Amino acid sequence: MFKILKQVSDYAKDTFQAAKYIGEGLAVTFDHMGRRPVTVQYPYEKLIPSERFRGRIHFEFDKCIACEVCVRVCPINLPVVDWEFNKQIKKKELKHYSIDFGVCIFCGNCVEYCPTNCLSMTEEYELATYDRHELNYDNVALGRLPYKVTEDPMVTPLRELGYLPKGVIEPHDLPAGSQRSGKRPEELIPE
Amino acid sequence: MNAGIDLRSSFIETLQNLGLPLGVSQAFWIPLPSILMIIGATVGVLVVVWLERKISAAAQQRVGPEFAGPLGVLQPVADGMKLVFKEDVVPAKADPWLFTLGPVLVVMPVFLSYLIIPFGQNLVITDLNVGIFLWISLSSIAPIGLLMSGYSSNNKYSLLGGLRAAAQSISYEIPLALAVLAIVMMSNSMSTIDIVHQQSGYGILGWNVWRQPVGFIIFWISALAECERLPFDLPEAEEELVAGYQTEYAGMKFGLFYVGSYVNLVLSALVFAILYLGGWEFPIPLDKLASWLGISETEAWLQIVTAALGVTMTILKAYFLIFIAILLRWTVPRVRIDQLLNLGWKFLLPVALANLLITAALKLAFPVAFGG
Repeated sequence: MFKILKQVSDYAKDTFQAAKYIGEGLAVTFDHMGRRPVTVQYPYEKLIPSERFRGRIHFEFDKCIACEVCVRVCPINLPVVDWEFNKQIKKKELKHYSIDFGVCIFCGNCVEYCPTNCLSMTEEYELATYDRHELNYDNVALGRLPYKVTEDPMVTPLRELGYLPKGVIEPHDLPAGSQRSGKRPEELIPE
Repeated sequence: MNAGIDLRSSFIETLQNLGLPLGVSQAFWIPLPSILMIIGATVGVLVVVWLERKISAAAQQRVGPEFAGPLGVLQPVADGMKLVFKEDVVPAKADPWLFTLGPVLVVMPVFLSYLIIPFGQNLVITDLNVGIFLWISLSSIAPIGLLMSGYSSNNKYSLLGGLRAAAQSISYEIPLALAVLAIVMMSNSMSTIDIVHQQSGYGILGWNVWRQPVGFIIFWISALAECERLPFDLPEAEEELVAGYQTEYAGMKFGLFYVGSYVNLVLSALVFAILYLGGWEFPIPLDKLASWLGISETEAWLQIVTAALGVTMTILKAYFLIFIAILLRWTVPRVRIDQLLNLGWKFLLPVALANLLITAALKLAFPVAFGG
């Protein structure tokens, strides 16, 4: 007889526990409504890409030796290296270099294996065009300096999560001069 | 309460003064309250869709719609326009009649149930003797529509989804009816206006929510299950069976399901406000407030203020429940179909019966407090 009473009381306790959990959950959800939205309002606020961000590739025409390593390590053999051997100076002469960013997967292999460091990745990711043929950048377009978020007067730059001070998870309303967590190199040297 | 401003007779007199005979003037009055309620329900749906998106965004620390109209209030209008212009696809080998009539059967009873919602003493389309029972019986038509939609889609996942949705809808009708029955027992009437009157006179202390502490939870859980809101949205959840019985629906037929879901939510919130939160009553009884301030009851502007306050209070109470429903959507996980049916039959039904018995016992023991 007491077993059934105990079962009923256990069931009732479980019910109250479940109701308590749901109440705590509602309190958490309600508390989140009082916080500032973390939305980055894109055209007016942009995140500053991190240092190793794999954006559009930059090409220095004068440093290239037309070795075509970038083509060989590219997963799709994308860069088009137009060179011919110049018999007078007995060297390869680079005539034209292009990368089609409609096909590029931004893996960075070409940047990693280039022997003369003429290839690098910039922080530019806004490459949208109305015609996909405009995405085939020639060596002039590749040589242009990237668009910087911090120099655009219409845009409020916001830092990414890795650059925020310790304990801060939101880039809005950051006090000026906030440093990222961790020590700077000058502070590490005395150790 | 005295007669006060009589809109119907004023309208008929105005039309008669314009030269129309009596019968024609009366005929012109008849569709007006229904049209007003349908417009009110549709605008209510637009508001609730906007509220859902903004409150969900706030709970998730984002902003929600803000570009379609000021603060994004025209976003549901944009959604509706999109659905209207979409192609109305009927799958191959789907039963054309059942496919088209399924959404109709799901949505029509909900709009019909707005007949019994009072916004004030005389602000109701019709004061039926069996008001609240009409809502319960109309909500029983929805499973037929769900089964029709699921079966006629010629899709095995839709069929399963429709079966689950119908099972859910049927399972939670009984605890809903029992919770309402306890209220009806206390009010000695099924008319919604009598139910609100039974809670009046003591302000916030007289609301049924204090006299039915378990009943209102049972009602709320059953109402959420009938509306297919989380945590009971198994039939239409995005990750479950594609979209359940709504999978093959596109364009305006899907729009009917979408609208019907929100209309049902608004209706459930309004009925909860009427049954448990005192309907149009202000937390402080208005006639006592008027007598303290020394204003006579028969003044016309007081009637207007009272009516406006009644409408506002009903809408505020319904909004509070809609807010809780939206918050609950992002707080609790979804229940499985077996957990759902267990909850309906093995937990809510016995608890609702026990609630009914206890209410009956208290009614016999303390008739002054529990409806003599």
